[in-house]
Order: sequence, then C-alpha cells, then structure tokens
Amino acid sequence: MPYDPHPNHEGFLNSVGSPIQHRFNPHTDNGGTTLAIAGKDFCLVAGDTRQSEGYSINTRYAPKVHELSNGSVLATSGMYADSVNLVLNIETRLEWYKHKHNKTMSATASAQMLMTVLYQKRFFPYYVFNILGGVDEKGEGCVFSYDPVGCYRRETYQAHGSSAALIQPFLDNQCGAKHQNIKEELLTLDQAMKITKDAFASATERDIYTGDYLEIFVIKKSGVTKHKFDLKKD
Amino acid sequence: MALVNLNDVLSFTGNEEDSAFDDAKSSCMNFETSLNFKLPTFSIQNLSDVSDIATAPVDFLKQQMSNENNSRIAIKKGTTTLAFVFQGGVIIAVDSRATGGAYIADGGVKKVIEINPYLLGTMAGGAADCMYWERELGRRCRLYEFREKERITVSAASKLLCNIVYGYKGMGLSMGTMVTGWDKTGPGLYYVDSDGQRLKSDLFSVGSGSTYAYGVLDSLYDYNMSVEDAIELGTRAIYHAGHRDAYSGNTVNVYHMKKTGWEFIYNKDINELHYKYAAEAKPSTLS
Amino acid sequence: MSIMSYNGGAIVAMKGKNCVAIASDRRFGVQALTLTHDFQKVFEINDKIYIGLGGLATDVQTLSETFRYRVNMYNLKEEREIQPKTFAHLVSSTLYEKRFGPYYCEPVIAGLEKDGSPFICSTDLIGCTTFPNDFVVTGTAEQQLYGMCESLWEPNLEPEDLFEIISQALLNAVDRDAVSGWGAIVHVITEDKVITRTLRGRMD
Repeated sequence: MPYDPHPNHEGFLNSVGSPIQHRFNPHTDNGGTTLAIAGKDFCLVAGDTRQSEGYSINTRYAPKVHELSNGSVLATSGMYADSVNLVLNIETRLEWYKHKHNKTMSATASAQMLMTVLYQKRFFPYYVFNILGGVDEKGEGCVFSYDPVGCYRRETYQAHGSSAALIQPFLDNQCGAKHQNIKEELLTLDQAMKITKDAFASATERDIYTGDYLEIFVIKKSGVTKHKFDLKKD
Repeated sequence: MALVNLNDVLSFTGNEEDSAFDDAKSSCMNFETSLNFKLPTFSIQNLSDVSDIATAPVDFLKQQMSNENNSRIAIKKGTTTLAFVFQGGVIIAVDSRATGGAYIADGGVKKVIEINPYLLGTMAGGAADCMYWERELGRRCRLYEFREKERITVSAASKLLCNIVYGYKGMGLSMGTMVTGWDKTGPGLYYVDSDGQRLKSDLFSVGSGSTYAYGVLDSLYDYNMSVEDAIELGTRAIYHAGHRDAYSGNTVNVYHMKKTGWEFIYNKDINELHYKYAAEAKPSTLS
Repeated sequence: MSIMSYNGGAIVAMKGKNCVAIASDRRFGVQALTLTHDFQKVFEINDKIYIGLGGLATDVQTLSETFRYRVNMYNLKEEREIQPKTFAHLVSSTLYEKRFGPYYCEPVIAGLEKDGSPFICSTDLIGCTTFPNDFVVTGTAEQQLYGMCESLWEPNLEPEDLFEIISQALLNAVDRDAVSGWGAIVHVITEDKVITRTLRGRMD
C-alpha cells in the first residue's frame, strides 16, 4: 500500500455531515498470472491456480487455463466469474460452429471470434485479460493476446495478470533476445518450459496473488498435454 | 418433397415481426458470429437492479475505465499517428506503443488498420474501439461495392464511420482516427473521432505525441516533395514524437497510399533511428 | 497521478562477491514529456558508498545536497569516513525529520563495509529501512525490476558478472516502463576501485 501523507479520514468528514456514496462494483480482481509462448511447432500456455480476493485466498486450486474443444487453450486472468462465463460462451459457439459447418473451428478463426465476443460487451465488459494459444493452419504455434474489450494481436510471447509487469520484461530478455547481441529465434519446447517455470517461481516470490500450483499446457498438432507443478504456497 | 419441407420451415419461422431479422440471418449464414456484425447488439446493464442507487451505465463505465482508478480496465492510450497528402499520394506513419498507465503493455501494435486495398484507418484512443469499428467499416464498404458496383469514396467511408460512432456518442467510445484512401476523386484524408467530428485536410497528426510530430511536419512539409522525402518526413516526425513523448515509441510503421492502393513501406525501430540520426550532421537552421 | 511518478525513474542496487553495484536510468521528464537524458540520480558519498534517489526530481536534488552537507559535517567532526550502516541511519533520520510533510523520495544505498563485505539498503519516503541480502529496487519500474532481479540475480557474483546482471535487469525493466529509461548508468563498487559505465539504452 503506498504511503499516503494526507490521509482522508472518512469518519471525520462524515461527522460534518457530508453524504457518503455507496456504489456497487460488479467487477472484482481475483489475481493470478498467465503466460504463453509460441514455438515453431508448439504453443505453451501456462497459469498459476491461486484465486484471491483482497488479502484472502479463496482457493489454491482454481484453474484459469482452459482447454477448449477445438484444441486451443484459453488462459484467463482478472475476474474469475467473468472468465467462467466467457469460456462457457466460447464453448457454445465452438459447438454450434461444429454442427453448422461439420468441422472444428481453427485457432485463428476462434481468435477473431473471441474479439467479437469480448466487444459485444463493450459497455459492460468481461473483466478478463485473455491469452489464446493454439496451432495455426500451417502447424506453427500461435499466441493471441487480448485486452478486456477485444483488442487483440498475434504475439510470440505474452504474460498477463497480476505479475505481468514482473514477467514481461524477463520474457523480452529471454524470448525476445532484447539487449542481447543475438538474433531473436523461436524457442524450443525445453527452453520455453524452463523459462516459464523460472518466471513463475520469480513472480511467486514478489506477488501475493500468484502461487500454489503452476499448470502448463503444451499444444501441438497432435494434441494437448497438461503438466502440473508446485509453486510456493505462502 | 424436399422443397415442400423447406417451405414448411420458412412458413414456420417467417412471421411478420421476425422478417427483418431473418433477412439479416439468411444473408450471413456462413459464420455464426457474422449475424452480430450485421446487427450489432450490446448489452447495457441497468445497475439499478443490483444497487440501491441507480447508476447510469455511462457513469459506471467512466469510473471503471478512468486512469485515476488505477485502471480496473485500462484502455490502451498514448499514441502518435500522422498522415499527409502530397503530390505522390498520402503518407501514413504511426508508432507502435500501447500503454496502460506507465506500463508498456505492448511495443508492437499495428496502429494502421487495413480496411481494404484502397482504404486505411489509423488507431488512437481505445484500441478495441478502433479495431472493431474499422473492421465493421470494412464490411460496410464491401457491401457498398456490391450495391453500387463501384468503390466507395474516402469521403463516404469516413462519413459511414462518423455516423456509426455518433450513434454511440456520450457512451464512452474513444477513438481518434484518420481514414485515408484513394478513390475516383484522387487521394483522400479525413479525421474522424468518437465525438462525431469529421474533418478533411491535407495534414493531420493524432495522439499524445501529435504536437511533436506537427513541429517536424510543419517545418519540413512540402506538397511537391518526392515520395522518398515524404516517407522520410513521416518517419522523422514519428521518431521525434517517440523520443520526447513517454507514451509513444518502439517502432514506426509507414504506409504509402497510391492510385493502385496502399503499400506497406517499412517497419523501423525508433531506437535504431535515434542513433542513426544522432550520428548524422545536424542541418543548420540559420544558413 | 501520484507525485512519486511525476518525473519517473528507476534505480536498482545488488550485492555481489566482495562487490556491490548500483544503477539508474537517466531520464528527467515531467509526466509524458522527456526533458533531458543526462539527469543524475545516483550520487557518490565517498569511494565506498553511493546513494540512488528515486522519486520527485526536486527532492532528489535537495536531498542529495542535504546528504552531502551532513556527511561533510560528519567527516569534519569525527575525522573519519562514514560507514555504510551509519550513513543508512543518517538517511533514515533525515527523512523522518519530515515525517508529516515528507520528501517524495525513496533512496537506495549501496556500499562496501570496512571488512569489504557488500552492503545494500533501501528506505521508504519517511525513512523505514530494510537491509536485504540480495537486491533493492525503487522507482516507477519497481515491479519490472523485481521481476528481472528475482529471475537473473544469484549469490556471489564477480564484479563483471554483477555488472552484466544489473545492466540486463535495468535495461529490460525500463523498456516496459513509459517514464523511465533514455540511457542508464552503472557503478560497480569493489575493494580497490569503482567501475562506472554509461549504457546505451532505448531512447524512446
């Protein structure tokens, strides 16, 4: 909490008789961090599993990385309730698409669809920061990163959530080869796994909203595999 | 027999009230969500249902998206974009930084939106607003082409966008965009923003770094300059804005609008431009 | 906007093996506007102690002069060089003097103690000190620096390795902060010398 040299003593003001405004706030931040890295023939999507509200932990295991029925993986951070509804919404649309067109939706098409879905709620947004990971038509790993109202872009690596500011510069350095006199190259799966685990271990040290367990999904053309690791629980 | 069945279905769903809806639905059956493009609908929550004090959705959204509120939903802001008309067409140059507060959320944003091969839009303000509505503009321009059997003018396209966002005036949309293109009247350049303002001119710059860009543009702009010089001018203006303005930077994207449509010129790193320009001899202003 | 991020800036100090490093960016700006890229935020107290002052630029300069005055007075009175730990408490009490109208400045101190062991310290704006055994950070890129340092730092780094780590940490951190950057300066304090290098950072 930043130090406030001029604290506004509400009790004092209220004794003067000024009205206090109560306001329902439909959005809450449940914390948590997500990350995705695209490789040549794979995509890695990771997230911690802690769910918190204020200084309390609601649960140590609430997965915020969701495997979708079209073989893509959606990592959500922000408000958990909104993310559950968003995933439900997306899954319904994927299902309807399958019945209508007799094929599963491609990762790139579902990326565009997610943008539309998010923007539909422009005036009462889903408070969710999304990362969609998958394998595109060419078999290459793809990562799409979103803001809550649907602005999206294809990236090679991205971190979102409460530790985004801690992890993103590390990814710039390690995945993007920033400030290193080497050429930027796509990572191998082993490298990506190692960087992901390091990033989350570091974030857990300094961010109270990140921790407990780390779930890593690896998406390849052949399918999705899931790995689970321990993080600090303090 | 098959036709009879089909008729059954049509007569079952085709009542008077739903006909407009069905018309829209049948014209875009290829993709589940395109119906939403055709008839955009937005859920606007009435918060009086859940709170003692009725809260207008606009007020609510302003509170949610304000930068003072430590950004519950930080809208990506801070930009430098510019476009100018010259003898060789239009040059469009933009930076690529997206910030949420002081945090640089993304350093590689595409702030030029390719509406179609003859139309470009730029992005300033709410990134999603620009992205969504300029995509919608692209769709409407395509429909216009089908109906009118000719390409839409830049003037008409910009007015379409202007009319769309004017319909949402006061609801918190945030966009400052330049619509550029080449039509039967030649090159076109319009500024459209979310207040519903639409202006035509030969030179615009939009965003937090626009004042720096204007400084460079105003001193070096010449209608009769060569294409190479014009590209260099656009690049330099964005570089200077990126250098001085904290909320602009990372890379420059330059596009050239010609009679044959737009052409992507290049993407350059602003940091590399800095050291390149720093090594060059400074032009004397007094000679 | 908070007054602590009015001018922007980022400072980090790290412990190594018989050495210590301190680094800062060089931007001086007023909110979005960048004015200069050679602003001094790290000050030499003596050849074994450096202090980095992050926060409001006017207080950075005022405090640097206050500390220069107080350290000079200490040297004259005591007829000996001030030790890092003593200096840290001098900083702390100087800040606490203004408890109810503070300097908007969060200092970090890096130094070598008499026995050559590394010393780092950071305080908040009213003088609450912490003495970690790895690294300290302050400024608008604090979060980014924590992420970088937590990932890159390891114990017992030699001076050249420490220089590389602190440089990488700072440069990559400020590139994700809009109001820090525009070059950097690093001091590595060792037993026999202080290595000072300026870094070419991103200028946007």
